[in-house]
Amino acid sequence: MKRERGHAMLELAISAGVMVSCLVGTFQFGYTFYTYNQLVTAVGNGARYAAQRTYLPGNENIEQGKAAIRNMVVYGDAQPANDAAPVVPKLTPAEVEVRWDLAGDGTPLNVNVAIKGYTTDAIFRSFAFDGRPSVQFPYVGKLAAAERER
Amino acid sequence: MFLLLAVIGMAFDLGRVYIARNEAQIFTDAASMAAAKQLDGTAAGLARAQAAVSALPNRWNLGTQDFSGVVTEFSADGKRWDAQPKDLKELHYARVTAPDNHVTIMFLRAVGGPPSFTVPARAVASTNPVRLTE
Repeated sequence: MKRERGHAMLELAISAGVMVSCLVGTFQFGYTFYTYNQLVTAVGNGARYAAQRTYLPGNENIEQGKAAIRNMVVYGDAQPANDAAPVVPKLTPAEVEVRWDLAGDGTPLNVNVAIKGYTTDAIFRSFAFDGRPSVQFPYVGKLAAAERER
Repeated sequence: MFLLLAVIGMAFDLGRVYIARNEAQIFTDAASMAAAKQLDGTAAGLARAQAAVSALPNRWNLGTQDFSGVVTEFSADGKRWDAQPKDLKELHYARVTAPDNHVTIMFLRAVGGPPSFTVPARAVASTNPVRLTE
């Protein structure tokens, strides 16, 4: 009887170890995929917003607009409130890379938005996203010579 | 064991499927805008529109794979679509379809799921897009 009870305990210990490992792995990957999907959505929304903005000609105005684009990615709002929460936990504007492809005369052609150096904390392990997700949108907005950007 | 595989499959496989669907939709959105932007009523504009879709670097499957089998079509009225339209003057819309995004299923397969899951995406853009003044 004692020997049988010992076997049962050993079996439980082994199977529980396997089960817990599988469930921990499932949680890690599930949460990481969930975060990645949110980043894809955020980056897509930010790039779409960037592609439709109005700019004054000249590189300076485009550089200023990058802050609004980063805010759109992180907060879902180009001009977020002071207490706005990021759409993806712990994502900051500094972790969003905005790069423009410009024509020779400074006209924007495409906007590239990517996540750089963001780490998601899946409790048991962290996963870093560097350069992914990234998207490119063609610039279809307006180059306004007279309009002032707000 | 069956239940465990089903739970792992739900998290792992369906997670990838949802990401692929999102990536494909963003690609077709961007590609249709890129194509519509080039339309100017000339054959050269049409060629540029097709080239712009091919040149788009957006990828899928966690950003690791290029889109394949992408179909680009054009329309004057948004109803009749043609990949090689004859009348170029009145073209106002571009439609891009990414039909071949097959996500390989790994865990759900073991509990009776399909070997792969297809997540097609399609988007339409106009030559006169929405523009933001802010």
